[in-house]
Amino acid sequence: MSTQAAPAARGVGVALILIGIGATVTSLSIDLDQYGRWGARYFPLGGSITLVVLGLLELRGAKVSAPTDRRHLPAIGALLILSLAYIWSISAFGYLVSTALAAPAALWIFGVRNPIGLLAAGVLCPAIYHGIFFVALGVFPPLGQYFDLLDVIGGY
Amino acid sequence: MDIFTGLATVLSDPILLGWVFLAAIVGMIVGAILGLTASAAIAMLLPLTFYMEPLPALAFLYVIGKSGRYGGSIAAILFNTPGTAASAATQLDGYPLAQQGKAGKAMKVATISSVIGDFTGEILLIIGVAWIAAIALKLGPPELFAVYFAAFIVIGSVIGKSVTRGLASAAFGILVSMIGLDPISSTERFTFGNFDLTNGISLVPLMIGIFVLGEVFSQIEERGAKTQMVPADKNDAARNGLTWAEYKPCIPHVIRSSFIGSFIGMLPGLGSAIAAFVAYGEGKRRAANPDDWGNGALEGIAAPEAANNAVSGPSMAPLLTLGIPGSTIGAILIGVFLIHGIQIGPTMFLTSRDLVFALFACGLIGIVMYGVIGYYGAAFVGRFITRIPTQVLYPIIFLTSFVAAYTSRGNLFDVYVMVAAGFLGWGMRKLHFNPAAFVISFVLARGAEETFRQSLLLSDNGLMIFVTRPIALVFLLIGLAAMFARVRSLNKQARAAALKDA
Repeated sequence: MSTQAAPAARGVGVALILIGIGATVTSLSIDLDQYGRWGARYFPLGGSITLVVLGLLELRGAKVSAPTDRRHLPAIGALLILSLAYIWSISAFGYLVSTALAAPAALWIFGVRNPIGLLAAGVLCPAIYHGIFFVALGVFPPLGQYFDLLDVIGGY
Repeated sequence: MDIFTGLATVLSDPILLGWVFLAAIVGMIVGAILGLTASAAIAMLLPLTFYMEPLPALAFLYVIGKSGRYGGSIAAILFNTPGTAASAATQLDGYPLAQQGKAGKAMKVATISSVIGDFTGEILLIIGVAWIAAIALKLGPPELFAVYFAAFIVIGSVIGKSVTRGLASAAFGILVSMIGLDPISSTERFTFGNFDLTNGISLVPLMIGIFVLGEVFSQIEERGAKTQMVPADKNDAARNGLTWAEYKPCIPHVIRSSFIGSFIGMLPGLGSAIAAFVAYGEGKRRAANPDDWGNGALEGIAAPEAANNAVSGPSMAPLLTLGIPGSTIGAILIGVFLIHGIQIGPTMFLTSRDLVFALFACGLIGIVMYGVIGYYGAAFVGRFITRIPTQVLYPIIFLTSFVAAYTSRGNLFDVYVMVAAGFLGWGMRKLHFNPAAFVISFVLARGAEETFRQSLLLSDNGLMIFVTRPIALVFLLIGLAAMFARVRSLNKQARAAALKDA
């Protein structure tokens, strides 16, 4: 149901069906209310069954499509890993140290190779974000479980 | 008369005017930067507004949305790449004009047309919104559910390249919004025993992920691509003035397109890109010089620009009167209303009437501000954007999205949600799913479920209540008709493309 072949129609169709089946099974395990009615199940079930039906339609209309461009997948994977590592590192070592490491890493992934620029980002980014969000706006910063630079430099 | 009180409130508050002015500039720059949209900027700046008063917060984001739609035309004309999807139609005539050395003239036409279109939409909103709200107050749960149902179908099927994937995006949005405790029976749904999931998925990190981090992931694929402006020569200044005689033929197109945009804006989910292309097509069909369209006709800029900006005001109508966001920007603004404890829907005109009309007044003033800045400074904005190094800009946006997601509730789980949503958003764009339908459905699902279950209680669990109530039936049929019309139109286009290839 589109003017051009949408990418990976078979894969998408199968994925929709599998997710839909999984969601349907999970929906059926939602507890009934005190009167034994299905109230809390209606919408989850509706959404899940819709996915199964749309997956079948996707498979039915599957056309051969041009292969998807995979050249940038390593960089995208690197950014995803950096994202997850950054959050874990915030919870372990606090915002300042994590951002000092994540800022140059993000710039590196986007192609910045200037060492002075990377170093400056490692110092300026944590300082500026900390100043705006945790000092000026008064948001309570995420503190590190094992170490936090704020403990060393004396609070925020 | 409420609007005059609103205007007086806004004009007598210099700080509020400052926020509106800042929003006009930020929106224009963001709209003109390739890859960034007003929705992304609003999602990223949303947590900052939690610390502001409700009116400046709403006005700031609302005017960014308006100015961002206009800013897209700068990129379309100067860089031959639309800054936003809504300005793709502007590019058809804008870039040929820029190549002829008339970029300044094209941008002046875009500015004036955008301002007229936006004013028309805003005034229609101001006149009609209280009226629609009064009608909405009379709708019962079955009618409201039917409106939600029509919105799901229209949003899922009409926008995007694939109907099945658009509808699947809407269904995903519904499923994700079901995560957490059932609001009526407090039963756990899709929590898999995880405590963090019992609170549900928060709207703010989800939107930051989909619109901001998702775009950062997409921009990795554009690394190294440099934004290039059309080179100017010495004689360009003489060619770039705009006379009344040149703009006069555009006026019928601007008026028609403003009404087309306003009408499309009222329908949930359709958005400014569709309005711009409908207005362009209609303008070309009625034009005295249809052969010039696509080769640098000023009318070809005026029509889509008036239409895409006219969408802005009326797209607020379903949000303010029914609590149904008509656009992604509307979905984001819901977050601001909720954070400030303002209940959206028809009762808002009883409880927060002054705020609503002051917001409209900010919209009107914002239009004037971006109009003046754009008329005299659009070329400067274009030059400024070419100097922004994207390999630095996107890492900064990347880092900002993390702190913005954390700020919304002071919770690192939200940041994980944001990253997951960002990756999902990138995947959805890559596979022709529809991120806007996903987010709008996520926002609509809770209200739809509530009205559905209330209807079942009213009818003692009988589904016939949706068929026996005429207004509900009409909305259900509108939804289904929109989907079938879209499928038919896509099949027709596919057949035409196949015949052309043969």
